[in-house]
Amino acid sequence: MPEAPATPGPNEDVVSLLLTQHARIEELFLLVTGSTGETRAEAFNDLVRLLAVHETAEEEVVHPLSRTLPGDNDALIDERLAEERQAKETLKVLIEGGVDADGFDEGVLLLRTSVLAHARHEERYEFPRLRQHVPADRLRQLATAVRAAEAAAPTRPHPGAESATANAVVGIPLTVIDRIRDAIRSAAD
Amino acid sequence: MFNPLEHKGLAPDQQLRSWRELNVDPIDPEAVDPYTRCRIITMNGIEVEAILFSHQFARNCPDDEVRRQLAYTRYVENQQQRVVNWLLPGLASVLETTLGYEQVAVDLTAWVARHEPDPYLRQAYEFGVLEDFDHLYRYANLYEMVERRKAEKVVDALTEVMPGRPTVHEHRHPFDEVRAPYDKDSVNPQSKLNALTILSAEQQVAIYYMNVGPQYMEPIARQLYQEISLIEQEHVTHYESLLDAGENWWERLLTHEYNECWLYHSFMEQESDPRIKAVWELHLQMELGHLQQAADLLRRHDGREPEEIVGSAGVPEPLLFEPNKQFLRHLLATQIDLNKLGEGYVREAHERFEWMQEQLHAGEKPPSEQVIDMHREQFGDEYRIETEGPHPVQSLRAAEGDRRA
Ligand SMILES: [Fe+2]
Ligand SMILES: [Fe+2]
Ligand SMILES: [Fe+2]
Ligand SMILES: [Fe+2]
Ligand SMILES: [Fe+2]
Repeated sequence: MPEAPATPGPNEDVVSLLLTQHARIEELFLLVTGSTGETRAEAFNDLVRLLAVHETAEEEVVHPLSRTLPGDNDALIDERLAEERQAKETLKVLIEGGVDADGFDEGVLLLRTSVLAHARHEERYEFPRLRQHVPADRLRQLATAVRAAEAAAPTRPHPGAESATANAVVGIPLTVIDRIRDAIRSAAD
Repeated sequence: MFNPLEHKGLAPDQQLRSWRELNVDPIDPEAVDPYTRCRIITMNGIEVEAILFSHQFARNCPDDEVRRQLAYTRYVENQQQRVVNWLLPGLASVLETTLGYEQVAVDLTAWVARHEPDPYLRQAYEFGVLEDFDHLYRYANLYEMVERRKAEKVVDALTEVMPGRPTVHEHRHPFDEVRAPYDKDSVNPQSKLNALTILSAEQQVAIYYMNVGPQYMEPIARQLYQEISLIEQEHVTHYESLLDAGENWWERLLTHEYNECWLYHSFMEQESDPRIKAVWELHLQMELGHLQQAADLLRRHDGREPEEIVGSAGVPEPLLFEPNKQFLRHLLATQIDLNKLGEGYVREAHERFEWMQEQLHAGEKPPSEQVIDMHREQFGDEYRIETEGPHPVQSLRAAEGDRRA
């Protein structure tokens, strides 16, 4: 797994944190598409976890905030949510089949294209408006909520009893998503 | 050797494209060979120069029939530019494309410097390449700050990222940017092509930066694009002054078309992506057609044969995108403190240079210095890719705390 990018201290705002996650998502996609065997299974597992944390945080914190900004943002946000839904569908199929399934390669490329295009849309049309309209303190405070989500998500279990491939097949259960959601809600208030 | 003058190419009336043909699929930014991106950026710059040159020619041409012929070929060049530049993906950000532009400036200029037969001209390329090399490093640091991504994603490890001649020292009095031209009648034809190629690439860089810079919201990004775009403008002055102003419009047109043939042929031979290779192949056939027309115009209006302008030996060896790490390290070690005075090169900070520096910096650090300070502040270090060991210049080595040293 690639080393985590340097995390620049407590001054980091939520936009920077989400950008860092986008960068890590890109790196993990490169790793998944460019490797095989255990390495690939582990990378995919990391990717699934990070996507769960990241998209949940955006749905809970970022998109609702964007709706409240001046101007009519609903159409824009609805488009982002539709992209996230579509990516989740593809992801679900990939998780169910596992990294060794037929069609995993094609599926992961499709997922990559839709997730990365989604991320670029956010960076171009949504994040700049947050920086423009939301006070810097508030954006820093929201970074704390997103970090709480990261802490609430399970890390990959130690390799041992189960193979990494088996872990990847399990994916992120709904209860975990709920845990991430709770962590964000209590930290964001 | 490939001699474009011996080929007919595609007839003019077969060169127009429909919307469907113009609507090309872009490259995949996550899986592209960085040098494929470099070839696209280079050919975009070449086509932009073909268009701008043709407009200038038309404005200076009283012959209506020639103006109509120029207009038609210019339309084709425009479609070529749209196809080539539209190979770049919408998924890439402006800064990612910028990193690609500077990678082009580094590895294209380095290749040309290594293959330039004339020592005075070679010195101009060796001098210029160290400046774009520094831009790559400044933009890479901006990229990590603004987009939280690493330049390695774009340039891979093909080109190193570390300080060149520091951008702060690149701002000179414009008088000193003007070089002495080659002599059109005695110069090696390859020198004409080299100069036109680098001039076109730098011109496109300057135009790009001066237009995209204000798209950023971050003050440091806006400021850095302002600063570097002014250097790129000076690079255009530097390289365009190498051309002999005594070349007339007919021979300049011929050289332009011949140069396009050389470059498309070079890239066709080297291209790793078969879909992109097919574009280079098609465009080569188009350029061979343009060259025939330009040769006819030259014969008719100037009374000369094309061989008198570009020689009869065919194009030079293929221009290649390839790593130039050792060559660049050698230049860093030997030419980092070089400056320009008049049409020559000196090592001291002379009076006109100091005067210009005072006007611009006014006692403050320029954006190109601030961007590194800010990066160190936020990340605890600066962004570099040093694959071949520490920086060859002691004073430009990374300070303590560098993640990658
Ligand atoms: Fe996102
Ligand atoms: Fe062309
Ligand atoms: Fe540059
Ligand atoms: Fe330049
Ligand atoms: Fe042409």
